[in-house]
Amino acid sequence: MPQTIKLASKVSLLARCFPEMWAEPALKSQPKVLQTRKTLAEMPGPSTLSFLTDLFCKKGLSRLHELQIESKAKYGPIWKASFGPILTVNVADPSLIEQVLRQEGKHPIRSDLSSWKDYRVSRGHSYGLLTAEGEEWQKIRSILGKHMLKPKEVESYTGTLNDVVSDLIGRLEHQRNLHEQRVVKDVAGEFYKFGLEGISSVLFESRIGCLEPKVPKETETFISSINTMFVMTLLTMAMPKILHRIFPKPWQKFCESWDYMFAFAKGHIDKRMAEISERISRGEKVEGKYLTYYLAQEKLSMKSIYGNVTELLLAGVDTISSTLSWSLYELSRHPQVQAALYKEITATVKDNSIPTAADVAKMPLLKAVMKETLRLYPVIPSNARVISDRDIQVGDYLIPKKTLISLCQYATSRDEKYFSNPNSFQPERWLHKEDSHHPYASIPFGFGKRSCVGRRIAELEVYLALARILMHFEVKPAQEGHAVKPMTRTLLVPETEISLQFLNR
Amino acid sequence: MAASSAVPLLLRAAAASCHRLLSASRVAANRSPSRFFHASAPARLSSEDKVTVHFITRDGDKLTAQGKVGDSLLDVVVDNNLDIDGFGACEGTLACSTCHLIFEDHIFEKLDAITDEELDMLDLAYGLTETSRLGCQICLQKSMNNMVVRVPETVADVRQSIDIGKNP
Repeated sequence: MPQTIKLASKVSLLARCFPEMWAEPALKSQPKVLQTRKTLAEMPGPSTLSFLTDLFCKKGLSRLHELQIESKAKYGPIWKASFGPILTVNVADPSLIEQVLRQEGKHPIRSDLSSWKDYRVSRGHSYGLLTAEGEEWQKIRSILGKHMLKPKEVESYTGTLNDVVSDLIGRLEHQRNLHEQRVVKDVAGEFYKFGLEGISSVLFESRIGCLEPKVPKETETFISSINTMFVMTLLTMAMPKILHRIFPKPWQKFCESWDYMFAFAKGHIDKRMAEISERISRGEKVEGKYLTYYLAQEKLSMKSIYGNVTELLLAGVDTISSTLSWSLYELSRHPQVQAALYKEITATVKDNSIPTAADVAKMPLLKAVMKETLRLYPVIPSNARVISDRDIQVGDYLIPKKTLISLCQYATSRDEKYFSNPNSFQPERWLHKEDSHHPYASIPFGFGKRSCVGRRIAELEVYLALARILMHFEVKPAQEGHAVKPMTRTLLVPETEISLQFLNR
Repeated sequence: MAASSAVPLLLRAAAASCHRLLSASRVAANRSPSRFFHASAPARLSSEDKVTVHFITRDGDKLTAQGKVGDSLLDVVVDNNLDIDGFGACEGTLACSTCHLIFEDHIFEKLDAITDEELDMLDLAYGLTETSRLGCQICLQKSMNNMVVRVPETVADVRQSIDIGKNP
């Protein structure tokens, strides 16, 4: 085992057992035992050329998550690599990730070299929560956080979400009936529509028809725009600026996808706003239980509302779709777990056919299934931080300010040091925590004030959907023994179609 | 620390919004957000409704403050402008664990049951103890009068930093 791993695990152990011992040397800067100050120059990592070859010639872009594990085995828990023009420090140990997050500062930055930002600047759009920084970010975060993260507030979306879940069940029923064996092909495709319908109903309190038998064209285009945008995100970031002139296609496609998403959001917002002003002009009382309305109440500029709603819309689609697809994929391959979960759901819900937020709160196995799914298939395979105003110590290394630090959560959440049989689906591990448990080994939503703002709505949405799907159907693999692997498309998604059999209960 | 001067301002803003929500939650479910801000209960409170809390800081100092029954401990820190660096970074939205506090046994035993959401965040807290909870989730009751809560020692909660560059 490389020296760095040993030291890192010792630091972690020390820190967790005796926080004050850790605090003292760090705060008072007395480097006794723990602080070796190596520089970036001393950090291991692949040469720029070999990394670029990996990325572009060996399908490395879609295998970035696997490269985390391979690089960790080769270089240890911290290494550097040049992702195109960007030098990245990769951190793949929970205690090191913890160290980075604890030093993220007052206005944490995820990544300040984003093509997403370049697009907004070039089009004169406003930043949304995903792309804004500093005080601007703080203002939006405070507003959205109080409506989206407080459990009591989130509960109030139960009715809206359950209506969408009802339509999902109808849609699954319809789709499987088209097939003799009751198979729904490519469930991720169905869950994309569910995700978009769900987030739209939360944002606009109106339905946009994604789950109807005939799906509106604009919905399909919106979903494919998200896909294209995510593929192009990695490509445009990895390409040095000079290459954009020689190969303009990726950047053009990237911008066109964003243009469509911004136009889609603006269309829906304007429509809702027009309805409201019409009601006001008729002297009617206006009340709303949807986010766009709250944002308007908070006196955000329309430009900022467009920017934020666009980002919230896109953030609610792949995330929900992947999590639901993988959950059902694993449950179909683990019938005992599915049976136990079905028992938990029916015992909790009893005669009431539609589970509520209060019901799912009492379903520990359901929550464990989601945690285990996100451990194996974290939607964001690697998170990131940039500390812009100071150098920080991470493990043995001093990381210069403004360095992009990549937090390799796919590697940590499949590390056998923290999870026994790391590649197998064992939700029960979350019910009785293993001795090797490290809280930072699997943090799919991130942690802290820049963590996922949609976390609680997403959790509720997945719980309500999974519970109801399993109440209606027994889910089996369409083809026994057919395995599907994940791939990176900025986010982690299924590499091939997941098709499942939905049998009547 | 550079961040500390901005903290009280930020937290005051957070507290204001918390109060809006708190008072709003007392109104019926059929509410209109624009009317949140005028719906609070009468502000006049007798001294009987005040609860005194003693905070032991990381430096071992004792800070004493008062809050109303129903206020969260995060509200108490913010409303009284207590100087606890980095406290309540996520403004009570259960996204971090910077309002982690350690309670006396007899108080801890009587606290409301912990939710899974709080437990998930607490798991990530620094220097966790058997009687740890998040201050944003604990609301004052009369029986808590004169309780002592301890701010855990910490290397660097989310808001702190080790300024290595300047202090080699």
